[in-house]
Amino acid sequence: MSAFVRRGDVVLVKPNMAWDRLPEHAANTDPEVVAEIVRLCMEAGARKVKVLDRTCNEARRCYLRSGIQKAAEKEGAEVPFVLEQRFVKMSIPEGEELKSWLFYRDAMEADVLINVPVLKSHSVSGLTIGLKNLMGILGGDRGQLHHRFDKKIVDINTVVRPQLTLLDATRVLLRNGPQGGNLRDVQQMDTVVAGVDRVAVDAYGALLFGRDPAQLGFLVEAQRRGLGTLDVKRLRVEKVTLSA
Amino acid sequence: MRTARRISQVFFLLSFLWLVWRTTYPYDSLIPADLFLRASALVAVTTILTSRSLVPQVLLGLLVLALTVPLGRAFCGWVCPLGTTLEVVRKVSSSKRKAPRKTPSTRWRWGKFAILVGILVSAVLGTQLLWPFDPVVLLTRTASVALYPLFTAAVSGLLGLVARVPFLEGAAYRGYALLYSAWFPLKQPPFHLVELFFVLLVLILALEKASRRFWCRNLCPLGALLGFFSQFRVLHREVDENCSACGLCKARCRMNAVEDDYVTTSAVECIACGECVSVCAPRATHYALRKPVRSGTVDLDRRRFIGATVAGVATVGLLGVGFVDRGRRASVIRPPGALPEADFLDRCIRCQECVKVCSSTGGCLQPSLWESGLVGLWTPVARPREGYCEYNCNLCGQVCPTGAIHRLPLEVKQLTKIGLAFFDKSRCIPWYRGEDCLVCEEHCPVPDKAIRFDEHTVRRPDGSEALVKLPYVVEELCIGCGICVTKCPVVGQGGIFLTSANEQRWPGSESLSQ
Repeated sequence: MSAFVRRGDVVLVKPNMAWDRLPEHAANTDPEVVAEIVRLCMEAGARKVKVLDRTCNEARRCYLRSGIQKAAEKEGAEVPFVLEQRFVKMSIPEGEELKSWLFYRDAMEADVLINVPVLKSHSVSGLTIGLKNLMGILGGDRGQLHHRFDKKIVDINTVVRPQLTLLDATRVLLRNGPQGGNLRDVQQMDTVVAGVDRVAVDAYGALLFGRDPAQLGFLVEAQRRGLGTLDVKRLRVEKVTLSA
Repeated sequence: MRTARRISQVFFLLSFLWLVWRTTYPYDSLIPADLFLRASALVAVTTILTSRSLVPQVLLGLLVLALTVPLGRAFCGWVCPLGTTLEVVRKVSSSKRKAPRKTPSTRWRWGKFAILVGILVSAVLGTQLLWPFDPVVLLTRTASVALYPLFTAAVSGLLGLVARVPFLEGAAYRGYALLYSAWFPLKQPPFHLVELFFVLLVLILALEKASRRFWCRNLCPLGALLGFFSQFRVLHREVDENCSACGLCKARCRMNAVEDDYVTTSAVECIACGECVSVCAPRATHYALRKPVRSGTVDLDRRRFIGATVAGVATVGLLGVGFVDRGRRASVIRPPGALPEADFLDRCIRCQECVKVCSSTGGCLQPSLWESGLVGLWTPVARPREGYCEYNCNLCGQVCPTGAIHRLPLEVKQLTKIGLAFFDKSRCIPWYRGEDCLVCEEHCPVPDKAIRFDEHTVRRPDGSEALVKLPYVVEELCIGCGICVTKCPVVGQGGIFLTSANEQRWPGSESLSQ
């Protein structure tokens, strides 16, 4: 972690905790994964680690029932609620569909941004992984992003650039994403994928899920716009197996 | 005695306000949020009469009524949050220069008995009309949906101003964080009709200017009910031979219960506040227990009694024949666990407890205006475009003081249909414009998804063809929570709407099996 976090840095960890669901529903990032990342950041000498998400259900419910608030606070992170008045309108110079949008100040001002998505099925984009997880730092009416989604999500990602993406595939929601609710739609995979190329991380996640990254519009679009590569075969992938 | 009473009044008013504040998610039901409403004897009596059953929630009110028989209207003097509010407002607003007090008139005392008779007659006929008049109800209502949002807006606004000062910004946001962790709503939705609730309370407070405790003496039906049961009270004011006839007790009696001889006291009107004991210079006045002897009059002559009865009957009749058209009726979505409509209207006292608690989670409930006719004024209705019924929440039933909303266990509530969603294909983006959207499907909380989609090649308005995910509602699965309606990104009226079709009222006629 010290390769990403320097002493005195303010780190923003962006998990997915958008839904009023329990950890076992796999709708939100696993609280243990978030807690571990917070711990590593603290170890690396971070001045402050913030964990936040602009939720879909009522925020206090999501923070509480996802288990993330408690787990992250235990490791010394701040887990503030997202305040509407802290969104700032920023222009998107490379935007093809969106020329500007509201972004959360804390995310834009943090020294290090670590994106911690969870791997889930999603009706519009096919899957929701890292690129889409950054919607959680957007303000405004995010429903507007759903049409012409592939272009818009890449537009957003040209402005927000996480230094590190950690994909949580501890449990994967195979069907009825992004919030699920049935335990029979959840598969235990006990995998975490880490990388600096967020497109590659998402592509790797897609392969884990059994999907061809080249069939996912937002990944193709992201590669075309130079955000990263989805050709996972050409990357150096290190596999580390941990015994429980 | 006066000091003890003031401590009691302040304690109960603060408890009342604290419970209003605590009517929120996360809800801790150690002390029920609706405690004061249940303690209103009028709510208890009316609920039992209207529903013709002994509703367990309101037994506390019967206990208060039972205690009134020996103790008299002590509730009004020591507990009632509206009574205390009136006195606080009086204290704060009156000038220090004491104008010579003129004893308020007793002319209008009959008013409260007339209102009470009207309410009781309607209740016997099966229609509940206490909701505009019960002091605990009307204060709860105003505090919950008018005063509380004002308070949160003021605090947030103040912090917002502080946050603009560069070196105080961090402190302001720490303040926000602290508030939100301690039961402050993250987003306080504005409520329908707050202005009206506010004005009505202000009017009652303004009556204080006419004469002290004007409301309590002349209009309050709860006071009338308690007064009626105080006639044979055991705890009574007594004056011994040391009385110097200075008249201070009569001048200071907020209820005008002391007669011209300064000795005789109306058992019906006296609220045992002890003011007369405290101002009595020769210490001739005290409260004592004595054999119950009827004293004091219930100021309602036969003519007015008949008038009030007729008014009650007429109101019931008129409300009964009120017209609500089919379209409007179908737009009335009730909270999950609501009784069948007729019972619901009679059981609901319009206290806004459910509305207040809902605003802290999904925020769909609002006080209604004419949606269910005049008879349904101020009852809770869902306004799904403003907020939705939170899938993992059953708090409205938990804070309902009269059982108008049945307490559903969460797993039952999650299967209870309160309505049904329909796509408006002329407004839904995939349907009319041929572009993907599916925000509704994403948010649908039903685990098996009550909104699904088919992929079809459609012709767009510009003539091009595209493969589009077209959403539809699975009627068997839709519970009518309305989150699809709330989150629909179409401007104005959304591409999906809700009607009360398929709603299940409680006790449910059909079993809720998956």
